[in-house]
Amino acid sequence: MSKKKLGTVWLGGCSGCHMSLLDIDERILEVAKLADIVKSPVVDGKEMPEVDIALVEGAITSDEHYRELLHIRKQAKTLIAFGDCAVMTNVTGMRNYFNLKDVLDTAYVNAISNDKEGKVPDHPSLLKLNEKVLPLQEVVKVDFVIPGCPPDADTIFYVLFEFLNDRLPDLGKAKKLKYG
Amino acid sequence: MNTIPITINDKKLDVDPAKTILEVCRENDIEILTMCHLKGIIDIGACRLCLVEIEGINKLLSACTTKVAANMVVKTSTERIKKYQRITAELFFAERNHVCSVCVANGKCELQQLGYKVEMDHIRYPHLFPHCEVDTSHPWYVMDHNRCIMCTRCVRVCNEVEGAHNWDVMNRGHQVRIISDFNTPWGESITCTSCGKCLHACPTGAIWPKAIVQGQLEKKPEIISELMEKRKMKL
Amino acid sequence: MNRQELQALAGKAKGKHEQFKHKICVCCGASCISSGSEEVLKKLQEEIKTRGLENEVEVIPSGCMGPCNQGPLMKYLPEQTIYQKVDCNNITAIVQSQLIEKKPIEELLLFADSREKPFVNSNEDPFFKRQMKIALKDCGDINPENIEDYLAAGGYRALEKAFFLLSPEEVIAEVKQSRMRGRGGAGYPTGLKWETVYKYVSDQKYVICNGDEGDPGAFMDRSVLEGNPHRVLEGMVIAGYAVGSSKGYAYIRGEYPLAIKRFELAIKQATKLGLLGKNILGSNFSFDIEVRIGAGAFVCGEETALIASIEGKRGTPRPRPPFPAEAGLWGKPTLINNVETFAGIAPIITNGGEWYSETGTPKSAGTKVFALAGKIKYSGLIEVPMGTTLREIVFDIGGGVQNGGDFKAAQTGGPSGGCIPAEHLDVKMDYESLISLGSIMGSGGLIIMDKSSDMVDVARYFMEFCMDESCGKCVPCRVGTKMMHDLLQKICDNKGTQIDLDRLEELAVYVKETSLCGLGASAPNPLLSTLRHFRKEYENRIMNHQ
Repeated sequence: MSKKKLGTVWLGGCSGCHMSLLDIDERILEVAKLADIVKSPVVDGKEMPEVDIALVEGAITSDEHYRELLHIRKQAKTLIAFGDCAVMTNVTGMRNYFNLKDVLDTAYVNAISNDKEGKVPDHPSLLKLNEKVLPLQEVVKVDFVIPGCPPDADTIFYVLFEFLNDRLPDLGKAKKLKYG
Repeated sequence: MNTIPITINDKKLDVDPAKTILEVCRENDIEILTMCHLKGIIDIGACRLCLVEIEGINKLLSACTTKVAANMVVKTSTERIKKYQRITAELFFAERNHVCSVCVANGKCELQQLGYKVEMDHIRYPHLFPHCEVDTSHPWYVMDHNRCIMCTRCVRVCNEVEGAHNWDVMNRGHQVRIISDFNTPWGESITCTSCGKCLHACPTGAIWPKAIVQGQLEKKPEIISELMEKRKMKL
Repeated sequence: MNRQELQALAGKAKGKHEQFKHKICVCCGASCISSGSEEVLKKLQEEIKTRGLENEVEVIPSGCMGPCNQGPLMKYLPEQTIYQKVDCNNITAIVQSQLIEKKPIEELLLFADSREKPFVNSNEDPFFKRQMKIALKDCGDINPENIEDYLAAGGYRALEKAFFLLSPEEVIAEVKQSRMRGRGGAGYPTGLKWETVYKYVSDQKYVICNGDEGDPGAFMDRSVLEGNPHRVLEGMVIAGYAVGSSKGYAYIRGEYPLAIKRFELAIKQATKLGLLGKNILGSNFSFDIEVRIGAGAFVCGEETALIASIEGKRGTPRPRPPFPAEAGLWGKPTLINNVETFAGIAPIITNGGEWYSETGTPKSAGTKVFALAGKIKYSGLIEVPMGTTLREIVFDIGGGVQNGGDFKAAQTGGPSGGCIPAEHLDVKMDYESLISLGSIMGSGGLIIMDKSSDMVDVARYFMEFCMDESCGKCVPCRVGTKMMHDLLQKICDNKGTQIDLDRLEELAVYVKETSLCGLGASAPNPLLSTLRHFRKEYENRIMNHQ
């Protein structure tokens, strides 16, 4: 069996899911036997190459996330929404109860710690926030989801191990569902 | 005691005819999911999780409000019922802002448990993200409408057990909200006795004491049921 | 008043009418009033007085005559000549030529602006000719605010017959034999319902008249209550006698102030004559009626929500069983029927159940009142035998689609019903046939749509209505209708995908099967029926997007 390719991405989230991924500890060696991690915040490589499995952490909050997710969808055979933010927007989505302008004003204009100018940054090289934060499934087809904030290391390992052995994991049956 | 024969999931039982299908199921370890039911207070059949199939009746009936009848044949977990339970759970989550990770009830929430039981890994419907108030005006307690699922257990407990009727419901449809008195801040309530029964009745992180933080909430809805049992015994 | 006195009074009232040579009815239903019929009435009374014809001509304000969008309407009897869009300026001319010269003014007659030759005798006009009036009989011919008019037209004779010639069991037997079904929408056999309530033993039972008509475009109950309130009242008293109840409630929606006013007046008049209250007509039967005013919630038309509302609680439904017949108002056995159902009772008792069952189809007996609305040439209130085809209603009675347009679909049953497309125009209007097409009879709203109607938008509109009117008690209806509405809006905005459509269909079936009450259970009907008959329109919206 040839080695599979695994990519992980960090979009609108806190990187906690990646921390939890690292918490699989020495079991990373078992993963490494079956797959090469070709793209991840913890390895080199800017663009997502073609991969068998892509773990996507975080919700879609900006135009850049949107473009990136579409690219990942093209490159990945199996796209996994990784963690509560990717699955149901979670904390990232808490700004959805307000409109975007109020959110930006609160952060940049009305916040006490700001300088007198109080301006929302608008440099062209900065990403543009979308009006609403979306979970991955509202943008692209998602093949599998791992809820949890963050998902347990055991759960992450279980899912990866099953996929890498060409089996379909079932979190419900495995009693590994967790939100929050 | 007079009993009548009924069949639930191919299991033949002799039961008390005064009981509901739900009571009979709970006594016989047949699992029925519920959200708005709390033993001891009046059932209203609102959450629609306890729907069961009854032979000869083409509608699904709520187990909590339907009395058993002689020779009734009940099915509690057909594929159809399971499918509907999952949709109901998803709609609960999509309706308000259930951010489990920062919720006081995280890990002790009946809604989370429901999600696990129906094996809900994600919500297929778009979240509504309504704007909800958090009422912190009460000196000890908080009412967070973001987490409320409108089971109205608090309303019924306040009315039926405490007799205060601080809580009620306002508006219609998806805009319904639990209100204190005539929609005034909880802290200004003239009916609330601060007894704290609604805190225990609430299945989620909607009503909780100020003294705690994320994930620390301890709910004991069973104390309501026990209290009502004791009252019955006294009578 | 006893039985003999009632007969004497009816005779006297009849005699009083017969001394007039002519009778002029000016429609004073809510829609004619809104187009100025009260001034017309005043002007007409002055005109008759000036001409010194008060002893020859009787002028009365009447209830609804039917063709509501042609108002104000004025009818001359015995010629049955109806003038439309009467205004104060042409009354003198009409009286002059109609009464004095005996030559009707053709260009002012009903439908003069759209028919090649209008009919002098309105009964010959296809709009009326095809109709058969049982519930609406006398509506438009008598003064609803005068009990003597009703007595002269044979009113309260059914009550008298029931009290003195029939036992409660025999009254129920007549109603059962009539095979009448509840006109509120669900079509439950009326006689069976009465019998069920009758059989329960209780110290107190209640009779409720459901006048909380809330479907958009429906005004059957309003017209009956405004045009002939005593008929409904009589039906309620007979029902009370049959099931053994001494207290009735008429639940009328607050948006119908005129209906409330006239029904309350009817109660007052009937009580004064001893037709209501203690020992009615000297018998040992007593019955009271109280009016309860609805506060504008659609869901209060659902019987258990209506009962909660009468009890002074929040108007939300509760699960059935137990049905109101067993445990209704304040936990007592309760008979709850629609306005139109009660309006049909007196003729059944007078003429016998068999007589009533001869009209209509084998499974749906009698007649049904429809409120014709939408893109139809002659809109208004009609009553036809059950089993009349939709084509007859739309084209023969209604004169076809407005401005010569093409018929696309008809919505029956309002937001709880479904649409009937052109290929099913020959469907018989009865309970079963409509259900087989995925619609329902409902309370009688009939909205005609032409080619300009976008069916996805129609479904969205009705879903919005149900979403707003959901009481919010159960999850499927509260959240499900909102979800379905949002998905429909998305498709309307050409942003929908096939996945959205699949989700929508799954939700529709879910909401239909799991909702607590009829409002939720029928909320997906417009969506499901437009999907069934006009799926292409949904798919085009999605294709456009992709």
